[in-house]
Amino acid sequence: MKNIAITIFIVLVVAILALQLVSFQVRETESALVTTFGKPTDEITSPGWYFKWPAPIQWVYKFDSRMKVLEAEVGETTTKGAVPIIVNTYVVWKIAQPLKFFNAVGTIREAESKLRSQISDTQNRIIGKHDFGEFVNSDSTKIKFKEIEDEMLTDLQGAVSDNYGIEAAMLGIKQLKISEDVSKDVFERMRAERNRRTEATIAQGNAEATRIKTDADYKKTELLAAAQARAKAIRAQGDAEAAKYYKMLEVHPKLAMFLRGIETLKEVLKERATIVLPADTEPFKLLKEIPDLESGHSGSK
Amino acid sequence: MTEESSPNKNSSDRPIPKEAAGVFDAAGRSLFEALRVSFIILKVIMIVLVVLFLASGFRTVGSDEQALVLRFGKIRGVGDQRVLGPGLHWVFPYPIDTIIKIPVEKRTNLPINSFWYFQTREETLPAGPKTQIRVPEKLDPLKDGYCIVRSQKQEILGGAAGSDYNIIHCKWQLTYKIDDAERFFRNIHIEDVKPGQSYAEVIESSIKPLLQGLFEDTVVTAIVNYTIDQALFLSQDRITGHVAKLLQEKLDTIQSGIRVVSVQLTDSTWPRQVNDAFLASLRASQESQKTISEARGYAEKTLNEAAGPIAEELLAAIENKEISEVNSTGSPQDEQELLWSQLAGEGREVIAEAKAYRTKTVESAKANAEYLQKILPEYQKRPELVLQDIYQEAIKYVLNNADEKIIIQPTKGIKGEELRILINRDPAIKRKSQKEK
Repeated sequence: MKNIAITIFIVLVVAILALQLVSFQVRETESALVTTFGKPTDEITSPGWYFKWPAPIQWVYKFDSRMKVLEAEVGETTTKGAVPIIVNTYVVWKIAQPLKFFNAVGTIREAESKLRSQISDTQNRIIGKHDFGEFVNSDSTKIKFKEIEDEMLTDLQGAVSDNYGIEAAMLGIKQLKISEDVSKDVFERMRAERNRRTEATIAQGNAEATRIKTDADYKKTELLAAAQARAKAIRAQGDAEAAKYYKMLEVHPKLAMFLRGIETLKEVLKERATIVLPADTEPFKLLKEIPDLESGHSGSK
Repeated sequence: MTEESSPNKNSSDRPIPKEAAGVFDAAGRSLFEALRVSFIILKVIMIVLVVLFLASGFRTVGSDEQALVLRFGKIRGVGDQRVLGPGLHWVFPYPIDTIIKIPVEKRTNLPINSFWYFQTREETLPAGPKTQIRVPEKLDPLKDGYCIVRSQKQEILGGAAGSDYNIIHCKWQLTYKIDDAERFFRNIHIEDVKPGQSYAEVIESSIKPLLQGLFEDTVVTAIVNYTIDQALFLSQDRITGHVAKLLQEKLDTIQSGIRVVSVQLTDSTWPRQVNDAFLASLRASQESQKTISEARGYAEKTLNEAAGPIAEELLAAIENKEISEVNSTGSPQDEQELLWSQLAGEGREVIAEAKAYRTKTVESAKANAEYLQKILPEYQKRPELVLQDIYQEAIKYVLNNADEKIIIQPTKGIKGEELRILINRDPAIKRKSQKEK
């Protein structure tokens, strides 16, 4: 009994050790290449558990199959119109075909250096085919930035896929710059543009303010005119109403005129008046003499 | 402990060695005994190892994590079962299964400052006395970061079209999380975990260059479509939305399993080299706004003075009336009357004056008429006396109210004699001037 248990245990241990020698795992994140006597014989790109001949006969090389990012060196290049620009390109890549990669490249370091030189080549060639106006343009419909990036990617893919077994999944320009001297000119232009805008803003503001003010003045005039018209109507109404009473005066026009005169006199000489009168007017005659009441009275009788 | 207790446990096995003990000599017996003990020890160790081996299969997945199980290197399960949620799970121990835990809930912020101008260490320090910062005349493409934005589309000036662009500086912040654990694990390169590092830390540092590259690319491609005013003042929300969308597209293209949570434009400015012009422009637009609001104030005041709060309404009603006078129905007329009644300010004064005139005119005409009516019967009886009475009354009233009264004795008969009296034209003025003296 006991011996059987021990035997099983020993067999298990040996089996596991043996399996280690003759099998290997390929992870989800890897691909592998099996060489027999140094010659690549099997390319494994799907994960799982695989068998092989033990060490001296077959060797297994594993490659990371995940995406890595590589940043190319900042490089100056020229567009079609010979405008110098500085671009910084990155590429997202992975090892797609282990066999090709093993034969042509071997290590990650080597792959990166090959990619760098390829990117720089692609960059110069493709950007040289396009005008600067296709990167930046005041007419946004003429901007072809994305298309240029795609063109560069296609170019790079063609170059590295067949030769190195590398798949470039994405390529982009992460910095787009201009040369130092050009930046000075750009500032000059920006300044001029801004100054022009400043003046325009002031002029527009003033024009608007004037319009608002004029409009208000016009409205005021309009309103007051309307009010005056209405006032005139009201006055006319008053005059018309007053005219009704004039009829009542017709019974004795002369007396009415007299009363009116008296009223006016009172009104006009109400205040701040200096009156110069001859002494023989009524009732100042009294200052000179006592009137002859009797004769006058009897006379009138 | 186990050594001592084991012999008791295995007491049933004893008879056999006892029989054998008679056969072997003492040395052989002790060797046998030693072997027996070591076998027991070995067995116990085996059992412990098996238990430990199986127990090592228990793994906890944290509440913010998702886990993938690799069986012989391949992701185990189908459909939803491929991803294990939070909780305690048992998997076959190494080398059969391997568990990979990926933090999926964690939102990570990644600041992107590569579009900002170069600053020395002292310049980035927030506090401290403002040291004079020397602004270089040009931008060094290797040191200074910036974005190129397009110019305002304007009347194309000959061949120079398109070469017009502006420069801005901006700072961004990207917030992301891992959305699809499987895609992320399978496609994105993560460095090996070194001792002292957590897997989450390694993930963050490993994907930083990738995200940085994609993000900067997105910003560069997106922002060339906007003008400097849009980028700095007008449509920052639209730009961040645009960047977030483009970035997500890129992340999806490489099947990264990463989700953009948010994109923020944390800072943006015009180049320091053109600071003066931009500040002047801002000032001008503020000034302009001020001028306009002052004009509005003036307009409001003017209208208020003219007609009060209903000025605009009344004006509209008046103009409207002029148009629709032909088919004048009752209601607009009433409306206008209502507005007139609410009139205030100068307009009201005008109307009020007219109304006062009307009242006065009517009242005085009425009074005159009534007065005449009243005195007429008396007058008809004694015309002379009534007239005298009224006349004297008037003279009295006038003379009482006069400031100065001068009565002169007219000289009769001498021709050409004239009388000159110097009178101050307005006694009120005279009085005033005397007071001043």
